[in-house]
Amino acid sequence: MSAVRLAGLRKDYDGVPAVRGLELEVAEGELLVVLGPSGCGKSTVLRLVAGLEEATDGRILIGDRDVTRLAPGRRNVSMVFQSYALFPHMTAAENIGFGLVVREVRRAEVCERVGRAAALAGCAHLLARRPAQLSGGERQRIALARALVREPDVFLLDEPLSNLDAELRAQTRAELKKLHARVGATMLYVTHDQVEALTLGQRIAVLRDGELQQLGTPDEIWGKPANRFVGRFVGTPAMNILDSGAVLGLETPFGAEVGVRPEHVVLGEEGVQAAVSLVELIGSEALVHLRVAGTELVARVPAETRHLPGDTVRSSARREHVHLYDAETGERLPWR
Amino acid sequence: MLGAAAVVAVVALPVAFLIGGSLRQPGLPPPRTPELIPDTFEFGNYERATELVGLGRAALNSFLVAAVSAPLSVLVASWAGFALVLLRPRARSTILAASLLALMVPLTALLVPRFALYRSLGLVDTFAPLVAPALVGTSPIYVLVFYVAFSRLPPELFDACRLEAASPFQVWSRVALPLVRPVAVAVGLLAFVLSWGNFLDPLVYLHDRDLFTLPLALRSLAQLDPTNYPLLLAGAVIATAPVVAIFLVAQRFFLHEHRGAGWLGR
Repeated sequence: MSAVRLAGLRKDYDGVPAVRGLELEVAEGELLVVLGPSGCGKSTVLRLVAGLEEATDGRILIGDRDVTRLAPGRRNVSMVFQSYALFPHMTAAENIGFGLVVREVRRAEVCERVGRAAALAGCAHLLARRPAQLSGGERQRIALARALVREPDVFLLDEPLSNLDAELRAQTRAELKKLHARVGATMLYVTHDQVEALTLGQRIAVLRDGELQQLGTPDEIWGKPANRFVGRFVGTPAMNILDSGAVLGLETPFGAEVGVRPEHVVLGEEGVQAAVSLVELIGSEALVHLRVAGTELVARVPAETRHLPGDTVRSSARREHVHLYDAETGERLPWR
Repeated sequence: MLGAAAVVAVVALPVAFLIGGSLRQPGLPPPRTPELIPDTFEFGNYERATELVGLGRAALNSFLVAAVSAPLSVLVASWAGFALVLLRPRARSTILAASLLALMVPLTALLVPRFALYRSLGLVDTFAPLVAPALVGTSPIYVLVFYVAFSRLPPELFDACRLEAASPFQVWSRVALPLVRPVAVAVGLLAFVLSWGNFLDPLVYLHDRDLFTLPLALRSLAQLDPTNYPLLLAGAVIATAPVVAIFLVAQRFFLHEHRGAGWLGR
């Protein structure tokens, strides 16, 4: 396994930048998640590392090797595609062993390595089937085994869970995490799903319009969003952004916006008077939409509090849960 | 349903008249009205037609030419179509435009220059001029058909191949061609039929009767007097039967596709 370093990586399409001077380092054996909304350039980053796109500028290093101008097949990377890209006319075993066969590896060794990779990905019982005879989750395992079989320096995963239903996605997510722990591979994982990013990633790189917004551990991304975009993008429902802390009964600096996550809005006896405009029950929790001094605010509270539209409540938040952002730049400001 | 019946009638009726006419007693004046079933069946017409103009030899010649031309056309046209998919967009557009332009040129316009070329190469009175078009895929339309078929394959499949260091030939042979097998079979059939029924090229390039292909032999039968038209029709049945047989054998290949549930996980 090798570390990956992206140095000033840039990709333009007809003069329109998709990735803008990205600086990123993935440690050896690390699972780094690239998180961002659709069109932010995250898949382009993955394709640049794979060599499927040519960089406009900058360098890509895998270990000590500069692979920026190398053909995809010479970079020793494996990729799991969003659509899995399994060859429909081949059996699962043929799909997994394809890379070895085209490299003219001995037949016996191909069989042995295919069996080992399939066992690792939990699909050894599916080897004789064709993709059309497999469920979404099973196809995903075959795609993983195909990535594993070559024992590459780096694994690239492009939204591999997005085609699975919610239950299977949660199950496969956990299995992916275990698999990473088992093989200790360097993995670059792209997703727009923040839950996937927070649960899987050892570190997360948040991307927007081809620019890195924040690089940090899931705790850092969640607890100290570097700017207003990260704060709002990570978390469901999105972080409340308020013009001032007065709505929560807090004194905040002039020119600073206030960010507070719905779960950190406290409804109780203290704080500023607010009117409940809507209540959404989500199982054990409720999202309470409030109107406070002309400002909309969402609070996440236990469902048993049973607020009703039209109720009057008091809203507040603890200072340590409130984030300050520059109203103009959106960058994080310290509390003074 | 009614439409399908109409189509079947349009196709089947001439075939029925062909078979019926081929079994009519030769030497009689042609019937005044179309005759589907003759009064007596004269199966000897087939033997006589074959002996009269050497249909057996001509069929063998036609088969030899078509058996080389059709697979060669598929091979070259699929290579060219695949190369178009791999090309950068600008080069691809230029070549596609050139192919369409080539399609506009009537083949007869090239007949004289082609004849001059083959004569200067000493290839007249050989099968080479009949097979040579297959070396460029026979027709730009076959190349375009393959290009469209390959470009409909999900690009991720080609990306996966590139990551596995597969050469363009390996991608073509192991992934692309097997996935467009119905198209390859259809193009092969078309190329076979085109070669089998080709009248103009053998007429221009073949002078030795031993090299005559079926259409030329049938032309000889057409020169018989009108009372012997059952012999011409018997020859036409003999010429048609192998193509129909090949179509029946091949249809199961182009009616079967790998796409179905689970095509690329979608």
